Amino acid sequence: MTGEKEKKGVSEVSKAVKEVFYGMASHAVVRQMMKTRMYLEHLFMLITLGDMLGMPILPPYYSLKLLPYALPNIKTWKRRLFKERDVTDMLY
Amino acid sequence: MTLSMKKYINQHPNLRVIIYAGKGGLGKTTCSAATSYWYAKQNRKALCFSTDPQASLSDIFEKDLFGKGEQKLAENLFVVEIDADRKITEFQEEVRQKIREMYGIDEIPKEIDEYISTSSYEPAMHESATYDAMAALLASKKYDVYVFDMPPFGHGVRMISMATILDVWIDKMAEARKKAAEYKEAEARIKGVSAEAEDAVLNELDEIRSKLDFFRETLTNSETTAFFMVLIPEKMAILDTERALKMFEKLGIKLSGVIVNQVYPVELLERKDLSEFLKHRIEMQQGYLKEISEKFGEHVRAVVPMFEKEPKGLEMIGRVAEHLFEKPNLEVLKRV
Repeated sequence: MTGEKEKKGVSEVSKAVKEVFYGMASHAVVRQMMKTRMYLEHLFMLITLGDMLGMPILPPYYSLKLLPYALPNIKTWKRRLFKERDVTDMLY
Repeated sequence: MTLSMKKYINQHPNLRVIIYAGKGGLGKTTCSAATSYWYAKQNRKALCFSTDPQASLSDIFEKDLFGKGEQKLAENLFVVEIDADRKITEFQEEVRQKIREMYGIDEIPKEIDEYISTSSYEPAMHESATYDAMAALLASKKYDVYVFDMPPFGHGVRMISMATILDVWIDKMAEARKKAAEYKEAEARIKGVSAEAEDAVLNELDEIRSKLDFFRETLTNSETTAFFMVLIPEKMAILDTERALKMFEKLGIKLSGVIVNQVYPVELLERKDLSEFLKHRIEMQQGYLKEISEKFGEHVRAVVPMFEKEPKGLEMIGRVAEHLFEKPNLEVLKRV
C-alpha cells in the first residue's frame, strides 16, 4: 500500500518538475512553433480553399477533394484572414 | 517520305492511346469512331471516349450512349460518352458523404454545403471531371487501345496544361503540408507526447499527383500515345492547325500526324456535267491541298474523301475506317 502511494508521490513530483522545466525552457519555443504551423496550415488552406474568399487558385474539383480534411479549421482561418489588424498586433 | 496511318501504327507497336484534336466540326469524332472500329476489327479491344461537352458519339453510332458508361457496340468495340454534369453531381455527393463519415454528423454546415453546391458552376469543373474520368479509364488498363476524341482545341490543350500547372501547385501544397507536419512532430517531441500518425491530406495530395503524373506521362510519351490533328482543305482549318501545333510543341507533345478530311474527289473535275458550284469548290480545295502539302507534307497520314452521305452508323464508319487505314490516298497530295 504505502509503496504504491510513495511511487505515486514520486511520479507526481517528477511530473511537476518536468512541467516547471517545460514552462521555463520550452513553452515559448512550442508556442512559436504552433504559431508557425498555424501560418503554414492557413497558407495551405488559402491555396486549396481560396475560392471561398474569392481567390481561385486550385481548380475547385481538387479543392473539393481536400475540403473534408480542412473542415475543422475553416472558421478560425476565415476569422484570422478577415480580422482587422493594427500596430499592436506587431507587439504580440 | 510520308507514312500512311497504317504504317505509322505498325511502326509504333506500343501505342495505347490515340487522340484526335482539331477545330470543331471537321470530323474528329468520325475519325475516332472509325479508328476504334478498325482496331476492333483487328481483334484489339478498343474504347472510344468522347471528351467533348457536345459529344456526338451517340449520333454517329446511332444509339443513345450519353452518360450510360462503357457500352459494347460490336465485338471488341466499346464506347463511352460521359455525362459531365452527372459526374459532378455524384462527386459532390461523395464529398458530402465523406464529411458526414469523418465527423459523424448528419447535416453538413450550411456554409460548407453552399460551397459544395456552387462549385458546379466554377470554371474548369467540367474539364476536371472529364479528365478524371479519362485518367481513371486509362489507369484501369481494361482495353488494348483508347481512342480519345478531344474537344475543339482550346479545351483539349487546357487539359494537358492544367496537369502541368496543378502539378506545380500540388508540389507547393505538399511542401507546406510537410513543413507543418514537421513542426507538429517537433512540438510533440518537446512536450513528450507521441506524434500523430501520417497525414491523410498528404496521402490525398500524393494520390492526386500520381494520377496527374500518370496521365501526363502517358500523353506526352510518343511511344504510347499518338496525337492526330484533323483538318479540311480550308484556310481557317489550316491556320488553326498551325496554331495548335505551336501550342502542342510548348507542352512537349509531338504531333503524330495530320488527317485531311472532307476532300472532294478530284476526278469529278473531268466530268462534263459538273456544276460551276462544285467545280469552284474542288478547285479551291486543290489549292489548299497544295498549301497543306507544303506545310504539313510529311505529317499527312491519310486523305479522307467527302462522302455522298453523312458518316453515321457502323456501316459508314467502316467505310471511313477503310479510307483512313487501307486507302490513305496520299498520292492526291503529290499531284497538286
